[in-house]
Amino acid sequence: MTRIGRGVIGIAVAVGLAVGLGAEPPGAGAQGAPPIRVGFSSAMTGPSAITGEGVKWAAQMVADEYNAKGGIAGRRIELYFGDNAGTPGEAVSAVRKLVDVDKVDVIIGQTHSGACLGALPVVKELQVPMVIEACSHPKIREQIGKNGNEWAFRVNPDDVMLANQFAKYMVQQVKTVSIFAQNDDFGRGAAAAYDAAFKKVGIKLLSTEFFDRGQADYRPVLTRVKRAAPEGVLLVMLASEGSVFMRQYRELGLNQKLFARGSMGTVEFLYQVRDSPNIADGLVEATYWTPALDPAWEKQWMERWKVPVRIHGSLAAIAFRYAVAPAIEAAIKKTGKADRKAIRDALEEIDVPNTPVGRVKFDDTHQAFINMLLVQIDGGQLKVLEKIPIQP
Amino acid sequence: MIDLVEQLVHGLTLGSLYAMVATGLALMFGVVRLINFAHGEFYMLGGYAFWYAYAELGLPYPVAGLAAVAAMGLFGLAYERAVIRTILPRTWHVQLIATLATSITLTNLAILVFGTQPKEVPTRLSAAILDVGGIRLAWQRVVVLVAAVAIFAGLEWFVGHTKLGKAMRAMSQNREACAVVGVDVQHVALATFGLSAALAAAAAALVSPLFNIFPDVGALLTLKAFAAVIVGGFGFVKGAIAAAFLIGLAESLAAGYVSYAYKDAIAFVVMVAVLLVRPQGLFGRRIGI
Repeated sequence: MTRIGRGVIGIAVAVGLAVGLGAEPPGAGAQGAPPIRVGFSSAMTGPSAITGEGVKWAAQMVADEYNAKGGIAGRRIELYFGDNAGTPGEAVSAVRKLVDVDKVDVIIGQTHSGACLGALPVVKELQVPMVIEACSHPKIREQIGKNGNEWAFRVNPDDVMLANQFAKYMVQQVKTVSIFAQNDDFGRGAAAAYDAAFKKVGIKLLSTEFFDRGQADYRPVLTRVKRAAPEGVLLVMLASEGSVFMRQYRELGLNQKLFARGSMGTVEFLYQVRDSPNIADGLVEATYWTPALDPAWEKQWMERWKVPVRIHGSLAAIAFRYAVAPAIEAAIKKTGKADRKAIRDALEEIDVPNTPVGRVKFDDTHQAFINMLLVQIDGGQLKVLEKIPIQP
Repeated sequence: MIDLVEQLVHGLTLGSLYAMVATGLALMFGVVRLINFAHGEFYMLGGYAFWYAYAELGLPYPVAGLAAVAAMGLFGLAYERAVIRTILPRTWHVQLIATLATSITLTNLAILVFGTQPKEVPTRLSAAILDVGGIRLAWQRVVVLVAAVAIFAGLEWFVGHTKLGKAMRAMSQNREACAVVGVDVQHVALATFGLSAALAAAAAALVSPLFNIFPDVGALLTLKAFAAVIVGGFGFVKGAIAAAFLIGLAESLAAGYVSYAYKDAIAFVVMVAVLLVRPQGLFGRRIGI
């Protein structure tokens, strides 16, 4: 192979490592007590890379915040990152890399439901605690805590919990709905949960359509929605797709009431459509985080990264601040160490009552019950319509 | 009926995009017998160049589009000199790995340079709606269709009436014979890569006001364009254009009347079916611009 050919491959490998597997250098700041190694796993590459970038930025912010105060119980935080590319297979590699190479004490991730489902057996096998921050697939709860995997914990509610509440709100507005969802574990899990929830409240589901992420043209399927003529459309999609979708939705002249799960009701989405901020007015999103919950965090984010705060990064920060950090502190206090087993045991016992998202305490299925929010886009702004406590 | 016409319009818009990208891929294969797996990234970079010129520098739409085309034309020339010319005498394995590596490198560089947030470049034409008997479409789609026809007509004229175009056609038929009779084959190959990259940028400038630009946008596009090149008859440009429209229409009709989730699968099944019946591609020719 020629010098240039080798060079091209070399650059590709180097860039891949820098982007996907980047980490702070080991031992940075280690003085006296060994540092605590925290791994974050998310999609750093691929069509979902925007989520991983947000997670990486949030991780740097919280690590700096704790390290500026001297760390947790005098132990500095060291960050490591794994790239799950938003897929189950890559999530397995990301966990193995974080555990075998980086020797992390705890993992926060995987952001995407498919990646979470892929990672669950591996965290159990490798016996490393993993705190899930944003994966809402209902099957996750069926596998964790007393259901078999004692190494995984989930902070966010799942789509069955959200759907049951959201459907009660939706039925006051519409009687017929079409679902348009991502063609992955998140989208399919949510679609099944809403199908069941609609039956309970008497909403008629007219059609369910799935799309692969990164699609350019939604008009063919929007024409199908136009044909079905539902009163409302439930979108299960992220902001990056949502902006193109909304433009084509308006292009076709559709005016159904819009409901969403994903990250449409976010400042990320409003930033994407900043040239026409009213394009999604009226859309109501079922979520569990919005910047109004923590304006100081939003301000700090904007100052540091110069782009609007991202929901998935913020959820990773929530998982760190209100689950992992208290657990590390409790583990050190109780056992004098913060190894994987001690952190896992402490996660089962922590109870953090007053966080911006509600109480963080895991039940015997390792599920926390934070608040659900209904957020509406109104006049190009986000408005919290309701805060709904979710009961175990 | 309106429904069917709408789906056909979607199919033609998608087909135009695939055709402009596939044309470059077919040209490159026809002239230098190399499959450029980084061709989708030419489209991606063209999109970012257009975004920078239009949204960041504030240039008028046609000027920004032409600037992106010119920038990518130069990029294509540089790519040919830096990568292609070196790997061309090597085996196909080396060529495959080198162009794939370029694709990965460019995607990751785009993440580093432009970030992961998709770029949007809506124009006045993408927001203005044309309503014909209940069929609503953005004026930008009309621009895409008209510009695509103009580009293909221009390309046809170029290949048939200019010295360089005729040299490209000759090289696609017999590279060695061209060298023997004094055609500067390296110069023609260089121009082919410049032209192919410029075509990808033209496609990006035309459709970016309708769709997002993001680092991974080229991956699926390369696959679709590649499929069009195969169905059209490897290296046969007109065949690739026709096949690209066929794939666009198959995708749109599948999405509209069968299943949106499986539209790509259906389009590729159509491709396989065509190849089963006509292994040489739709037009039964091996290679030739």
